[in-house]
Amino acid sequence: MKIAVCVKQIPDPAAPAKMDANYNLARDTKLIMDESDSYGVEMALQLVDKAGAGEVVLFSMAPGEEVSGLRNALAMGAHRAVLISDPRLAGSDALSTAKVLAKAIGRESFDLVLAATESSDGYTGTTPVQIAELLDLPSVTFAKGIEVKGESLIVARQTEAGFDEIEVPTPALVTVTAGVVEPRYPNFKGIMAAKSKPVEKLSIDDLAFSPDSVGASGARETITSIRPAESRGAGTVVVDEGDGFAKIIEYLESLKVI
Amino acid sequence: MDFTENEEHVALRVAVAAICDDFGAEYYQSHAESRTPTTELWRALGDHGYIGINLPEQYGGGGAGLVELTMVCQESAARGTPLLLLLVSSAISGEVIATYGTQSQRERWLPKLASGESKIVFAITEPSAGSNTHRLSTFAHRVGDRDSWSISGEKYYISGVDEADAILVVARTSPPNEKARLSLFIVDSDAPGLSKIPLPVSVTLPERQFTLHFDNVKVSADRLVGTEGDGFKQVFQGLNPERITGAGLCVGIGRYCLERAAQYANVRVVWDTPIGAHQGVSHALAKAKIEVELAALMTTKAAWLHDNHLPAGEAANMAKYAAAEAALSAIDAAIQTHGGNGLATEYGLVPYWGLARLLRIAPVNREMILNFVAQHSLGLPRSY
Repeated sequence: MKIAVCVKQIPDPAAPAKMDANYNLARDTKLIMDESDSYGVEMALQLVDKAGAGEVVLFSMAPGEEVSGLRNALAMGAHRAVLISDPRLAGSDALSTAKVLAKAIGRESFDLVLAATESSDGYTGTTPVQIAELLDLPSVTFAKGIEVKGESLIVARQTEAGFDEIEVPTPALVTVTAGVVEPRYPNFKGIMAAKSKPVEKLSIDDLAFSPDSVGASGARETITSIRPAESRGAGTVVVDEGDGFAKIIEYLESLKVI
Repeated sequence: MDFTENEEHVALRVAVAAICDDFGAEYYQSHAESRTPTTELWRALGDHGYIGINLPEQYGGGGAGLVELTMVCQESAARGTPLLLLLVSSAISGEVIATYGTQSQRERWLPKLASGESKIVFAITEPSAGSNTHRLSTFAHRVGDRDSWSISGEKYYISGVDEADAILVVARTSPPNEKARLSLFIVDSDAPGLSKIPLPVSVTLPERQFTLHFDNVKVSADRLVGTEGDGFKQVFQGLNPERITGAGLCVGIGRYCLERAAQYANVRVVWDTPIGAHQGVSHALAKAKIEVELAALMTTKAAWLHDNHLPAGEAANMAKYAAAEAALSAIDAAIQTHGGNGLATEYGLVPYWGLARLLRIAPVNREMILNFVAQHSLGLPRSY
């Protein structure tokens, strides 16, 4: 089973975010693997293990030839990676990103393309389905589990009420909900092996894009302004003078929770 | 010269920290309070190849060195989950068996040590010998058709015997009236004739201490590790790693305690500002931070020297001295920062004081290191 996994390398969410003059997230710091992609990597590794043979190939578009996030997924057990890095990709919107990733993925044939439902920095949640559209693949979103059944996949798709079971023919694209599998920690052998696993580096020329079709000049979205999110209120402090439980019940009742 | 940590080392630290964080500092603290081994954490790190990281690859180890094992010690301690037996099972027993064991001894023992499935603890200290290894009286002599050995004697302050499958025992193989020639034996921890008596200590640790009585404990010839009579030199192959990993553990304890203290001092407000703004609080923490990071540098240097087969004794001793002192400064400052809470079981700081205090005494005490440095680094007359 051959699986492509989209892996985004993002600024560490624990550090304060910086914006550039065009309101784009500054990506000139050290980047790490988006945690939400670790679930797709884990699911891919499990599917290949179960199939008995296969390959997990990572695809990432990142500035500055950044590979540290990819090394982490390679240390988990992915077999190789493809990195698209080109200064002319700066300012890409979700559609440009999807075009670039789709073109890189489309150079080979895969049984399955996995992605997170959304990234932890951009949160558009639109790139995976755009990739599916560009590659002419059926797509299923919000998967909590995937099983192989012959030439098809049975995907458990999370819904508000529970989950739907969807059968989809391969090749397909599936987005994986965060938290549905337990991403493995890299073991020491994995870390050492990741050093020598191949990372293919591509420019937009390698993918035959004209510079004006991607990056800032190809973007159809522009960010016109940004403002800080409203800060949360201070909350209510319940002082327990022996009647703390009654006050909590009263509060929950006021919310009509109980 | 390059002080940058390479990508693999960064990844190693991140992975070890993540595994330890699944257990959490409270896990260590509660196990220390109840004096029960932290086996689950040991196994989890073993499953991921971090317990036997320094052991040869062909025997299931990671094929790395003491630099990496020391990072495992540091990082696990820095998450509040220090593992004392790394110093013994992975550093001493693992290094000694990997270096001096026969092919079949390595095949038999190392894979289980590397996976974390079993531990081999180390027995050298004796009531009548203390730091004077030349005075060891536990005696091993050949019996039968000279194809087996009989060991008699007493050892004390032996850590983790209850968790170990076997014990690496240092015994004299020369008659009592001659100069001590030492040899090393692997003795099963349930060997007939071996009694293990718990030795209660008042510091709270997950690892227990034992007194061992060897009453004609028989071991077969294949339990002798290395060359008969060469034990003193062979033990040194393991003692430097023990000191260096001990230093690593102390650096980790120091970092953990200072992180906790800094968090507390940033949020605890008694008058108008967080107490961390008061120099009476901040300077003690800053001073300890400097001491911890200086000790970390010497620890890494010592591990690097050992891995590069260069003389590491001086650096290992200095690192062990500096790191234990720094850990104690750090935990003391952290407790003081917390005020009364510093002693509360809920805040969980006191068990780290116990471990750091133990590490000022073991595996080599502060005074013996000062003797060593005075004599060997400064050329002063020997004191004993």
